[in-house]
Amino acid sequence: MSATTLHTEIGASDEKQAAAKNASRRLGTIVVRLGAIAAFAAIMLYFVVFAPGFTSTFNLINVVEQSAILGVLAYGMTMVIIGGGSDVTEGGIDLSIAANMGLCAAVYATLLSMGYGDFLAVLAALAVGMAIGALNALAVVGLGILPLLATLAVLNVAAGMELTLTQNTVVGATSPLLAFLVSGSFLGISALAWALVLVSAIMIAIVHYTSFGLRLFAVGGHPEAARAAGINVPFYISFTYVLSGFCAAVASILTVSRLSASTPGSGELLLSVLAAALLGTVFSRRFVPTIGGTLLSVLFIGLLANGFQLLNVSSYWVNGVQGALILLVVAVTSFARGSEASR
Amino acid sequence: MSVSTSDNARQTLRAFLAKYSILLAFGAIVVFFATASPTFLTPTNLFNVLVNNVVMLAIVALGLTIVISSGGIDLSVGVSIDMASMIFVMLLAAGYSGFVGVGGGLAAALVVGALNAILITRLKISPFLATLGVLFIGQSTQQLATSGGQPIYLTSGYAGDQFNAIARTALLGIPTPVIVLILCAIAVYLLLHRSVFGRYVQAMGAQPGVAWHSGIRVPRELSLVYVGCALLAGITGILLSATVKSYVPLSGNAFLLDAIGATFIGTTLSRERKPTVAGTLLGVLLLAVVKNGLLLIGWNFYWQQVGIGLLVFLVLAASFGLRRASH
Repeated sequence: MSATTLHTEIGASDEKQAAAKNASRRLGTIVVRLGAIAAFAAIMLYFVVFAPGFTSTFNLINVVEQSAILGVLAYGMTMVIIGGGSDVTEGGIDLSIAANMGLCAAVYATLLSMGYGDFLAVLAALAVGMAIGALNALAVVGLGILPLLATLAVLNVAAGMELTLTQNTVVGATSPLLAFLVSGSFLGISALAWALVLVSAIMIAIVHYTSFGLRLFAVGGHPEAARAAGINVPFYISFTYVLSGFCAAVASILTVSRLSASTPGSGELLLSVLAAALLGTVFSRRFVPTIGGTLLSVLFIGLLANGFQLLNVSSYWVNGVQGALILLVVAVTSFARGSEASR
Repeated sequence: MSVSTSDNARQTLRAFLAKYSILLAFGAIVVFFATASPTFLTPTNLFNVLVNNVVMLAIVALGLTIVISSGGIDLSVGVSIDMASMIFVMLLAAGYSGFVGVGGGLAAALVVGALNAILITRLKISPFLATLGVLFIGQSTQQLATSGGQPIYLTSGYAGDQFNAIARTALLGIPTPVIVLILCAIAVYLLLHRSVFGRYVQAMGAQPGVAWHSGIRVPRELSLVYVGCALLAGITGILLSATVKSYVPLSGNAFLLDAIGATFIGTTLSRERKPTVAGTLLGVLLLAVVKNGLLLIGWNFYWQQVGIGLLVFLVLAASFGLRRASH
C-alpha cells in the first residue's frame, strides 16, 4: 500500500497520529535490518566458537577460492537483473548462465586436450560465452521475447551443445594458465582467490563508480524514463546479457582449473547463482541488486557450507539451511521494505 | 487507395500469422516428422508419446498455468512431485493399501503447497524466492530421508503391482494416465476460464493492486492457487512412481523447466499473452512431438536437446517478432 492511499484513508486530522505511526515504523525498519544482520553475525559467531579451524587464514582463503566460481557467475546475473529490472517474470534474468559456463568449460578443455595453446583456448571460450550472451541479447532486445523464456531456450541449446561436444564425459585438461591459477600465489593468497578479488574490484568500479553504471540502474529502474532521458536502452540491456556470457566464460576457466577438467552437470549451479544474486539485494540500503551485496551473499553461502563441513554436519543439511535462510532474510526484508514504502 | 488496401491485407496476414504462429509451427513439425519417419504417425508411437512424454509434463504444466495466470511462479513443483512420490512409495512399501498411499502422497504435496502459500501470502515473500527456498529445503529433506538419495523400489507383491498395472492399462481404449490428464485439464479449464475464482486469478495476474482494492481476498485466492498447483504436481508424482515402480529422489525437478517453457509457449496463443489451458496443452504437445520426432529420425539424446532449444527459440522468435511487427 502506498503512502498516498494511506493518507486519503486516514484524513488530514489524523496526520499527527500517522506521523507517530511512521516514526515507529522507521524504528521497526531499523530493528528488522539489524535483526537480519544479527542473524548473519550470530551464525558466523557460532562457527568461530565451535567449528575448529574456521578462522584460520588457510580456511578463509579456501572459502574465497571456493566462492570464486559462484561469485563470477552471480556478478553476471546481478548485471542482468540491474539492467532488466528485478521483476522476476518480466524483468531481466539469465537462466542460461550456468549451462553457458558448462559449454565454455567444455570448449576450453577440449581445445587444450587437442593440443592448442592457452591463448587460443581462452579466446575461444570467451568467444563462445559472449556468442551465447549475444544470442540472449538478440532474443530479448531484438525480438522482444521474455527474458525468462528466451534464456530458457538458450539454456537448452548451450547444455545440448556441451553434451554433444563432450559426449557427457569428463575432459581432463592441463596448461600453464591452469597450473598458475591452482598453485600460483601472491602475498600468501592463491591466484584463484585473487581472481575473485580482481573481478569484484573491476565490477564494483564499473557498476557503482561510473556514469555507465548509473545509467544501467536507470534503465532497469524505469526504462521509459531512461529512454526519455536519452539513454540508449537496447544497448545497455544487450550489454548486460553479453557481459553475463563473458562472466560465464571467465567462470568456466576457473572451474576447469579447480577440477583440472570440464565436468558435466554444471547446470546445477543455476539455482545457487540465482539465490546469491537475489539474496544480495538484502545488503543494499534500498534493496536493489548491487555487486557488493552479491559478493557478501556469495561469501556467506560459502562460509555456511564450509562451517557445516568443519562441524561435521552432513552436507545434506546445507541446501535446506540455505533455503531456510533465504526465506528468513527475505521475509524480514519484505517487512522492512513494506514499512519503508509507506513512509 | 490500392496501396492502403494491400497494406491492410498485409497487416491482417501478419496479425493472423502472429496469432496462429504456434499452431502453424506445430502443424509444420508434425507434417515434417510424418514424412521423415514412417513410424511417427503409427498408433503405437502416438500412444507412447502421449503416455510417456505428454501426460505427466502436462499435469505439472497445468498447475503452473494457474500460478503464472496469477502473476506468480512456482519453482518448487519438483518438490511437490518428489514428496508425493516418496510418501506414496513409502506407504505402499510399508504394506498400506493403495488408497492410503494415494491419500498420503497427495497430502504430502498439499503440505508443500500450503508452505508456499504461507510464505507468499503471510510473510509477503516474492513467489520466485519463496518457492526457490522451498525447493532448497525440499532437496535437503529428501536427501536426509533417503540417506543421500537412495531410490526406494516397489518390489512385487505390494499394492504397487496393481498401480503399475493401472498405469499401463486402458479404459475404453484410452490409457488410464491419459484419462487422469483429461480430468485434470477439464478441472483446470473450468476453474481458470469458467469460474469466479478464475476471474479473480486473472485479475490478480493483470493488476494485483486493483484486484486488492476491488475487494478480492487476494491472500485466500493466492493460497488456493499454490495449493492447487502443488496438488496437480502431487498427482504427477504418484503417476510417476506408479509407472516406474519406484521413488527416485530429486527426480521431479526435471519437469520444471519444460513445464515453464510449455506454459509460456502457450501464452503466445492468446492476444493478451495470458496463459491458457489450451495453449499450455499445445506447448506440451509441441515439446513432446519434437522430442519424439528427433529420436525417430535418429538424432541422439545430446543433439535432441540442441534441437529442442533451437526450435523453441525459433517458434518464440517468430511469434514475438511477428507480433512486434504487427503493432
